[in-house]
Amino acid sequence: MASRRGYMTGFILASVLMALATFLVSSHALPPFALLLAIMACAGFAVIAQVYFLLHIDISEHNIWNTVALVAFIPLFVITIGLTWWMFSQLYLRTMPMIPGMPGMH
Amino acid sequence: MSSSETVVDPDKVRLWSEDYEGHDVISTRTFGFWMYVLSDAMLFATLFAAYGVLSYPHSYYTGPTPAQFVAPWYTFVQTMALFLSVLVYGWAMASLKDGNKSGVINGLLGALVLGILFLALDIHDVMRLVAAGITPEVSGGLSAFYCLTQVHAAHIFAGLIWIIVMLWQVARKGFTEDVVGRLISLRMFWQFQAVMWVFIYVFVYLWGYMS
Repeated sequence: MASRRGYMTGFILASVLMALATFLVSSHALPPFALLLAIMACAGFAVIAQVYFLLHIDISEHNIWNTVALVAFIPLFVITIGLTWWMFSQLYLRTMPMIPGMPGMH
Repeated sequence: MSSSETVVDPDKVRLWSEDYEGHDVISTRTFGFWMYVLSDAMLFATLFAAYGVLSYPHSYYTGPTPAQFVAPWYTFVQTMALFLSVLVYGWAMASLKDGNKSGVINGLLGALVLGILFLALDIHDVMRLVAAGITPEVSGGLSAFYCLTQVHAAHIFAGLIWIIVMLWQVARKGFTEDVVGRLISLRMFWQFQAVMWVFIYVFVYLWGYMS
């Protein structure tokens, strides 16, 4: 539960991961797709660290219902963002005029 | 285990409690506030979806893209200001457990100052962009960019006002049940802003900068 040590751990983990992501992006250390995967991993681990160490989302008796509520919301997040993005990407693919040299267009 | 395997008589089984078994006020309010936080996350999810569909090359058309105007290390300083603010708020909550009133007030003050620093850096960044002619009406992509980042900034502003109110209430009322419950709710609200900022920083600022 809430302790100075736990909050410090969450802070250090999230900060180091964000510093790493910033360094990778600003130095262009990796090819674009690998870079995207790397910063996605940084974001994922930083969020997990924050949710566990800061928001105390775990399976203890005290917090289990908060955890259940969050898990129930995750499909909603995925549907809201993923389905919208998929729908529009297909729409653009089929309806947008082809401008030569525009990346992402076929 | 054994209780779940016991065969029960449908006529005699007790499906719910006859009386109200009671929940303490703080845990009920805290759970309710967590529901609010999750619905707020849905608001952010819709804005992320809008940004996702409006961050194609044609969304900016010939105007400026984040690759041209995002400054990663500047925004990293903003990130650290917010993370430190959340950390110091966490220390305030640890002091609350010890019943240390001055520790709570110092923690809230520290979180307030660092939160103001975050907001000041954000406003400075927006003014830099506006001075360069990079405004929301330039393109759909920029509208989505500004909407998402500034809705987050508006949450920070609301949180700062809440911190000021809690400073006043801790000083005047002490650790009453209401005040402690509100401190816990504000803790979730403030930490949630840091979680949302991770997504905004990585997927809007950094990804925008590299693409």
